[in-house]
Amino acid sequence: MTTVDHTADVPARPGDWVRERLSNALSEFTAAAALVVLFVVLSFASPHFLTADNLFNIGAQTAVIAIIATAQTMVIITKGIDLSVGSVAALAGVVGAITVRDLGFSIWAATAVAIAVGGVAGLVNGLLVTVARIPPFIATLGTMSAARGLVFIITGAVGVYGLPESFQLLGNGEILGIPFAVVLTAVVAVGVAFLLSQTRFGQYTYAMGSNLEAARRSGIPVGRHLTAIYVLAGLLVGLGGMIAASRVNSGQPNYGIALELDVIAAAVIGGASLFGGQGRIIGTLIGAFLIALVRNGAVLLDISIHYQMVIVGLIIWAAVYFDQYRRRRLESRG
Amino acid sequence: MAHSTTGRRTSSHRGRGGTVLAAVVATAVLGACGGVEVRDGSDEEPAATGEPAEGSSGPLELAVLPKAVGHEFWNTVRAGAECAAELAGDVTVEWDGVTAETDVEGQVNLVQNFVTRQVDGIVYAATDSTALAPATQGALDAGIPVAMIDSGTDPQPEDVPLYATDNRAAAVEAANLLAEELGAGEHEVALIEFQPGSQTNTERVEGFTEGLAQHDNLTLVGQQPSHSDVNEARRVTEDILTANPNLAGIFAANEPSVLGAAQAVEAAGRSGEIVIIGWDAAPDEVAGLRSGQISALVVQNPFNMGYLGVKNMVEHLREGTPLESADTGVTFLTQENVDTEEAQAILEPSCDNPPVG
Repeated sequence: MTTVDHTADVPARPGDWVRERLSNALSEFTAAAALVVLFVVLSFASPHFLTADNLFNIGAQTAVIAIIATAQTMVIITKGIDLSVGSVAALAGVVGAITVRDLGFSIWAATAVAIAVGGVAGLVNGLLVTVARIPPFIATLGTMSAARGLVFIITGAVGVYGLPESFQLLGNGEILGIPFAVVLTAVVAVGVAFLLSQTRFGQYTYAMGSNLEAARRSGIPVGRHLTAIYVLAGLLVGLGGMIAASRVNSGQPNYGIALELDVIAAAVIGGASLFGGQGRIIGTLIGAFLIALVRNGAVLLDISIHYQMVIVGLIIWAAVYFDQYRRRRLESRG
Repeated sequence: MAHSTTGRRTSSHRGRGGTVLAAVVATAVLGACGGVEVRDGSDEEPAATGEPAEGSSGPLELAVLPKAVGHEFWNTVRAGAECAAELAGDVTVEWDGVTAETDVEGQVNLVQNFVTRQVDGIVYAATDSTALAPATQGALDAGIPVAMIDSGTDPQPEDVPLYATDNRAAAVEAANLLAEELGAGEHEVALIEFQPGSQTNTERVEGFTEGLAQHDNLTLVGQQPSHSDVNEARRVTEDILTANPNLAGIFAANEPSVLGAAQAVEAAGRSGEIVIIGWDAAPDEVAGLRSGQISALVVQNPFNMGYLGVKNMVEHLREGTPLESADTGVTFLTQENVDTEEAQAILEPSCDNPPVG
């Protein structure tokens, strides 16, 4: 995104690595504290908040954003950004819905197709960034427009309706009383968290985001690796789009407009840095749930949408401000 | 999507409208003659006397412009426009539009291009009531009569009619219908609006709350927007249901809002128990109506918008009939009447059985 490199020397010294981890944990702590405070406040403010039904609802409502925010976090760690997530999710959802309606696919086959659609979009993003060398912001801006256009072309800008009951499995089904969407979110989050924190793939990801040139010189195949990250992110976006379609039992051509802003907000509130090299899945999940709680609470207390938007904006400011403040203090001590 | 006040206003100016009309037609004809291209010799005589271009039965070319192309609603408008053109005979409909309803500037350019092209008349739906007002005036200045469909301009020139749904009146009726379905006793109701700030949304919300005020036993306990996103409609409805366990009725003001609300009610296991009054008639909405998920749907008549726009424009051009606004009407679709011929004519409009008049 930018040539100014704020963290050029981070991977060089082991002490910095420890500090980095500590700083990550701190920003997550801030967001988690806000989440807990909000949770407690809402529990007192509304008698309906702290009920199993409402908590499951929040879980299912947050699933799509959480999964796509997980994808976004991976990209942000590499110092990239993916603006195309909303359009690609819509594309995956309508294609999945069409395969069920017109080709008689099962929900599983349709989900596989939707995930693949996301993967292809991710591959396009990745190749645009690594081969065509277009900055991620611009590359994915183009994909955002092109994918939305494809959605309208495929659907004629009319929703895909008339789907069988089984189509709702992903979005509305349950496993042992827990919404299936929540289970999928957990699986995705744990999987990606493991990938980022425990594998060489993860180390490469953070290293490239901290200092791409250093990563290249140390022998990391950056082009291939970066492409792989966009593809993986795309696959998750495809899954998210399919869950969203399944939740409303239809393929919606207008789904996900401005979704990228929600998921970027979730990642940033959770401690991911747009300068790259920083961010963890647990933080992003906290960010996603923080936003979801604000929205849920606002409706429970019948607060107008206009205030909800202001509150989310304030949280983004506060989260990033506290984050930077703590980092600065940490750095001046080190 | 539509304007509601102009209909009443225009009809009260019938007498003056005729005079203005004559002047406009005169200008139109003079404009045509003054141009490089003289299109029809018969235009000259009425131009000199200032009378309407009566009896000019030559071929007509009308530009019919929706807010955006590619939506089912506008495709139905198109079918109505083409039906009227076919019945009138020797009328060409030039159907053209921008791809997004938000492309206001694109539509201004489009109208101007058709003015430049000197079509005989322009029938269109304004994407933005204020921004398109100069475009309408520009067409009139160039001597091309204009009829608005679905959404008018602000200000709306007196000689420009509007053929549209009276959203406010229909939303008042929706509130009455909700009260009727719920019956006596105290009831909590919720409103799912779609796009706060848009004119259509405002008219439906105001109409509904106005209607609600006439029923003391109904209390509005929740009002949230869906932003025309089914997922969002579902989310806010779920939360409203959580916050108000006694909720008895919902009015959802457009297609995505209705679908999301119905999904949420279904997921909460309260289908059939909570009365849903919806708007529009997408296939899944009609299916919900049949299954009892949805109690009633307010259905507009886009076919009639296109039909009346073209029919009246042709009569105006050929016979000098003054252009007057009309409410294109709504139908309240219920489980009982969904299969009637009248309802089917609205749901599956065709020129063989046009849902007009």
